[in-house]
Amino acid sequence: MKKRLTALALAPTLILSGCALPGLGGPPDSTIRIGTLDTVESEVWGYTIAGMIEHYTDLETELITNLGSSIVQHQAMVQDEVDITSTRYTGTDIAGVLDMDGITDPDQAMDIVQKEFDKQFNQTWGDSYGFENSYTVSVREEFAEEEGIEHVEDLEPFADSMNFGVDNAWVNREGDGYNAFVETHFAFGNVYPMAIGLVYEAAASGNMDAVLGYSSDGRIAAYDLKVLEDDFFPPYDASPVIQNEVIEDHPELEEILDRLADTVTTEDMQDMNYQGDVDLKNPSQIAEQFLEENNYFETDQEVNE
Amino acid sequence: MGVGEQLVTYVTQNGYYIWEEFYRHFLMAAYGVLFASIVAIPIGILISRYGRLSKWVLSFGSIIQTIPALGFMALLMVTLGLGTTTVITTLFFYSLLPIIQNTYVGMKSVDQTVIEAAHASGMTRFQLLRKVELPLAVSVIMAGIRTALVVGIGIVAIGTFVGAGGLGAIIVRGTNATDGTAIILAGAVPTALMAIIADLIMGMIERRLNPANKASAASQ
Repeated sequence: MKKRLTALALAPTLILSGCALPGLGGPPDSTIRIGTLDTVESEVWGYTIAGMIEHYTDLETELITNLGSSIVQHQAMVQDEVDITSTRYTGTDIAGVLDMDGITDPDQAMDIVQKEFDKQFNQTWGDSYGFENSYTVSVREEFAEEEGIEHVEDLEPFADSMNFGVDNAWVNREGDGYNAFVETHFAFGNVYPMAIGLVYEAAASGNMDAVLGYSSDGRIAAYDLKVLEDDFFPPYDASPVIQNEVIEDHPELEEILDRLADTVTTEDMQDMNYQGDVDLKNPSQIAEQFLEENNYFETDQEVNE
Repeated sequence: MGVGEQLVTYVTQNGYYIWEEFYRHFLMAAYGVLFASIVAIPIGILISRYGRLSKWVLSFGSIIQTIPALGFMALLMVTLGLGTTTVITTLFFYSLLPIIQNTYVGMKSVDQTVIEAAHASGMTRFQLLRKVELPLAVSVIMAGIRTALVVGIGIVAIGTFVGAGGLGAIIVRGTNATDGTAIILAGAVPTALMAIIADLIMGMIERRLNPANKASAASQ
């Protein structure tokens, strides 16, 4: 009977202490936890980093996917629930985490996040992968040609009667969300927040007259949409972020992440995103293909060895 | 390409991935229900003995059931963090009520004359519990665990929102893709299958443990 009571008392403690249950997650010391957003892009980079780490070290990796936003990614890092976040964007973290605004120069933005994250959060903001994923306003190509629209400002005469389809995550953003957009530019007749997967198709089919999407999304080109010029949105260069403590324990990780810097252009990223979002390829496959094509970014020296 | 074709392509390309998530999904559901059983069965036995407690305990269990699972997970996430622990703990709380309730009902429905007969034959309270009451109530208790597991498999599907993965991750991937119906199906169909299979297997165990069936099997 006593044994049974002990088991009874032990069970909840066991769960609450969060020790790794058999079958779920590896040993905590040698497992690198990588957090990703719910986008193809973020998952592709999560799997790419995981692939690189497993290729070069004996460490195990675990992906924590579908984190809701960059702020959630940041919280997860600060609370030490993930070791690396796969995609972070300069503009997002400057506005959302560092609470600054008005920085439109990409180099300056990168400088600020790299310095501030090291100082304030003891985290290393890696160098950019080489692409950017900025917010963009797009319209149908035909419409842009007919009316000679190049810049967002050119839409102003039509705006009152336009339906504007936007990503759920954008509409209430501080700093560069819809309210700030209205202050800088103008208001649209109707604004429809929706899941990002629906936005581009809604524009292509004519249900929406203008949409807010992401510049690295492969569907912009695939659906014949025209990206309008704009100087409202800050730069969104993409990089990984890693905790400094993790680098101290496993110094080789910093070098592994450095190898991924400047490897992908925005067009390449569009292509990868298209494979995931439209061809329904799994992000893990896209990442594997990417790493194999590039031979895991081994240097010439290593190949000769 | 039709949805059917896309689904076949997706499943052939990602069969292993789907299996991995399936396994992970099942483990989370099973652990949650297992831990809940360890706690809930003794509580159920206790409240069947001390009737006054039963109202309180059962209302407490019902209150938990009224909280939306996603909200509950979000609350737990604040203290337990991201990952499987939060999902398993959520499931633990949601499984308490069906198991406690069924244990309580199972124990209460043991025929009073049988208990009196056992008393008369000189059994101690513990012997009575182990040799008479539990064997007679066990199939009803199993029915509670079965309900908890089937409901739990559904709850684990939203665990992906707290970073726990599972088949829900595939479903969310599908909702973010354009025309992702095939991916949604690749996540949703295995989830439904898992629930159906779990229900069938638990149902079989339940019937096998039912003393009425045992008696007829013995007499044949």
